[in-house]
Amino acid sequence: MAGAARHLLLAPAAVLLLGFFVLPYLNMLVISVMTPSPTAAYLHVFTLRNYAAIVGDAFTWGVIWHTIQIGVLTTAIALAVSYPLAYHLARAPRRRKGLLMALVISPLLVGVLIRTYGWMILLQDTGLINQARAALGLRPLALMYNDLGVLIGLVHVFIPFMVLAITGPIQGIDPELELAARSLGAGFWRTFWRVTFPLSMPGVVAGTILVFVLTISSYVIPSLLGGFKVLTVPILVIRTITELFNWPGGSAFAILFFVITIAVLWAYLRALGRAAHPGS
Amino acid sequence: MVRSAERRWLALAAVLLYLFLLAPVAIVVLAALNAGAYLRFPPDGLSDRWFVTFVHNRTLMRSFRYSVELAAIATVAATVIGTMTSLWLVRFSGRFRTAMRLLMIAPIAVPGILTGIALLIYFYAIGWGKAGGLPQLVVGHTLICIPYVVLIVSAVLVRFDRSLEEAARNLGADPFTTFRRVTLPLIKGAVIAGAIFAFVTSYDEFNISLLLSGVGTVPLPIELFDYLRFSFDPTLAVAGTISIAMAVAVVLITERLIGLEALYLG
Amino acid sequence: MAEIGLRGLTKRFGEVTAVSGLTLEAASGELVALLGPSGCGKTTTLRMVAGFETPTAGRITLGDRDVTGEAPEHRNCGMVFQHYALFPHLTVAQNVAFGLQMRRVPRADSERRVAAILDKVGLGGLGRRLPRELSGGQQQRTALARALVINPSVLLLDEPLANLDAKLREEMRFYIRSLQREFGITTLYVTHDQAEALVLADRVAVLMDGVLRQFDAPEEIYHRPRSAAVAAFIGLTNLLPGTVVSRAGEAMVVDTPAGRVRGRGVPDLAPGARAMLSIRPEHIDLGGEAADGANRLRGVVVERTFLGAITDVRVQVGDGLVLRVQGRATAPQRGGERVTVSFPDDAAWAVPADA
Repeated sequence: MAGAARHLLLAPAAVLLLGFFVLPYLNMLVISVMTPSPTAAYLHVFTLRNYAAIVGDAFTWGVIWHTIQIGVLTTAIALAVSYPLAYHLARAPRRRKGLLMALVISPLLVGVLIRTYGWMILLQDTGLINQARAALGLRPLALMYNDLGVLIGLVHVFIPFMVLAITGPIQGIDPELELAARSLGAGFWRTFWRVTFPLSMPGVVAGTILVFVLTISSYVIPSLLGGFKVLTVPILVIRTITELFNWPGGSAFAILFFVITIAVLWAYLRALGRAAHPGS
Repeated sequence: MVRSAERRWLALAAVLLYLFLLAPVAIVVLAALNAGAYLRFPPDGLSDRWFVTFVHNRTLMRSFRYSVELAAIATVAATVIGTMTSLWLVRFSGRFRTAMRLLMIAPIAVPGILTGIALLIYFYAIGWGKAGGLPQLVVGHTLICIPYVVLIVSAVLVRFDRSLEEAARNLGADPFTTFRRVTLPLIKGAVIAGAIFAFVTSYDEFNISLLLSGVGTVPLPIELFDYLRFSFDPTLAVAGTISIAMAVAVVLITERLIGLEALYLG
Repeated sequence: MAEIGLRGLTKRFGEVTAVSGLTLEAASGELVALLGPSGCGKTTTLRMVAGFETPTAGRITLGDRDVTGEAPEHRNCGMVFQHYALFPHLTVAQNVAFGLQMRRVPRADSERRVAAILDKVGLGGLGRRLPRELSGGQQQRTALARALVINPSVLLLDEPLANLDAKLREEMRFYIRSLQREFGITTLYVTHDQAEALVLADRVAVLMDGVLRQFDAPEEIYHRPRSAAVAAFIGLTNLLPGTVVSRAGEAMVVDTPAGRVRGRGVPDLAPGARAMLSIRPEHIDLGGEAADGANRLRGVVVERTFLGAITDVRVQVGDGLVLRVQGRATAPQRGGERVTVSFPDDAAWAVPADA
């Protein structure tokens, strides 16, 4: 293809992404230092008070901390639950792999809202689980409108992502390596911790980062499964933007949270690096 | 897995986990077919009354049509743009490949609410309609659909046998004819798979729709969300069943066309 | 039919020079083999002629056209790719017709020509099949048909037989050659198999590390290589180091650690120059009577291998100098046995020592 003409292929995507992705984010950065106003969307007056208001507010920090906690818990549980699934999928014979992959991916394509609805039916005070407990003569459990319900929903929704991230690397581990470890005297768990898990690390890292970011950005699940009792950053941000119409404040909060997320991930990767190369 | 006992434990764990994964989905389908208004155990019996209610619910049907329309437009745009971009990425990107690839994937890597907010404020700033509406939604949805098309199509393009294109050139075909007669027919599967992934992504999209919707008709997920906050009508389960049927269809078609291994993120 | 001209052809990929200063001409109707070990630049050269790589320097002419800058689709070369590159989504007939369609040949004409060429290559009646339903040999012939049906001015073949089993390879060799002769197309044939090159080519171009080492008829390449590298690459040979004592025309006398040898050699070796003597194993006799005036060297048998039709014996004739002798099975030689090897003058060919 002619030299310059070939780059025309990129033009539509470049225009779309630069014009409607990069620029909006830059714009949001600018708005975050504008002054909020009750009469207009915002005033073109530079101020850092939006950020100061967040940083100085203990309540907001509480919400941020709570969100990160949920993120870490969800990621850890999702990893523990997804690994067996991923391992089973990775080592499955060719014919069955297609079906198993389909089972893993279909929930993804159903959409967060519908799956959350399913959980609501299950977890409600009068939902299926509590009906079963009642039938067995057990007390009902508060599985919804609290952190527990949110956690269950989040873990469930993001398992497919984790599975997709770690199955590939596990598949890439030569089964003979595990056999070699066993032949050298390592039992099942030792083989797992010393051979399989370390070799699957790239997938584990990618999966945990992905799920963590997705979890702390989730809006639907904390809203529906948490009722109005569980507050996370996305809920607060949306409220600030759409109910309080404080665009500068909401933008500042969103950006601040984005920065905090990057910081958390950076610390995570540093800690991982140090664990892999102690003493460096 | 050396010993059969271990294999059995793993299989058991896997079965339980698959059940866990699919339980809510199955529940929704059951609720839609349930005769009663609440899912009870033992179930009340099967009925299609909620399907009838759904079809007669004007607001929900309007939202449904709106979502389909929006998804169709976003899909066409994302598929065309995504395929062109994949070609560029795999063939012509050179030094910029990694950077551009990251940029292309970014819309689904960053939280949807951030993108939604950024777009909302931006559209206001450039004077694009006071309230939200179809054009804004199309832009937002196309943005998040393109990455799926790019991921799927470039995965197949990377494995494409270049010598087939060289053979076509050698026999007298110019680059466009080569693409049309040789490349495209052979990557057709990936393009279609990318398109249907894009469609479902747009149809199910919530966060961006939440922020960019206008007054009046809104996409179905937003409509359902409002309903869900305050009522618990199994009519919603019907909408859910439609989504589930679509998801199953997409997965089966993609598996037939290109195999699902292209979707590994690792 | 057009001649192929390469002048000063050079191709660099970043730091790596794949082809350097290649100059040769293939006469009309000639089959030129591009021969060399992997990585020697022969495929790169072919791809430059086809137009898939742009030369860093140099010119390519087809007939009287300078095609150096032209796009591949305008060069009218017929090319057969190493893995055939048959379009998997088109039938055999559609594959073969592709080039004709690009040239806007009317449908009726095209169908006639396709049917004719398929018959010619022995695939008549298989037009409706898909490539994956064909055997390796049939795919090969489809690729050939597709390249030939367009009446190209030159034919380019990239290791066309590399993927066939040994027996099929031999059959196809002669088949391709006879087809090429019949059509009289100037052909460039890339291969790493020197037996193939020697059998098929009118002339062989030996490439090593991107440089053309020798361009001659097969017999010249085999019997009178220009350098030790070429001598070692073509067939089996023994290389004896030595110093040129004297020469008269082609005849030379060379002093080697194993003794003084009378032989022939390349023109550019003067007395005092360091040389390598190339002696083919099949020209050496073991024990028995040697003709008068033949070279005689004494040595010790190191190893004897039975190869069926011939026997391979290694004889140590000097410090670290072992000659391989191949010939009809003679009386068994035991390791350690003292023997005399002999060979006539015209079996020893001297080339420069460091070429």
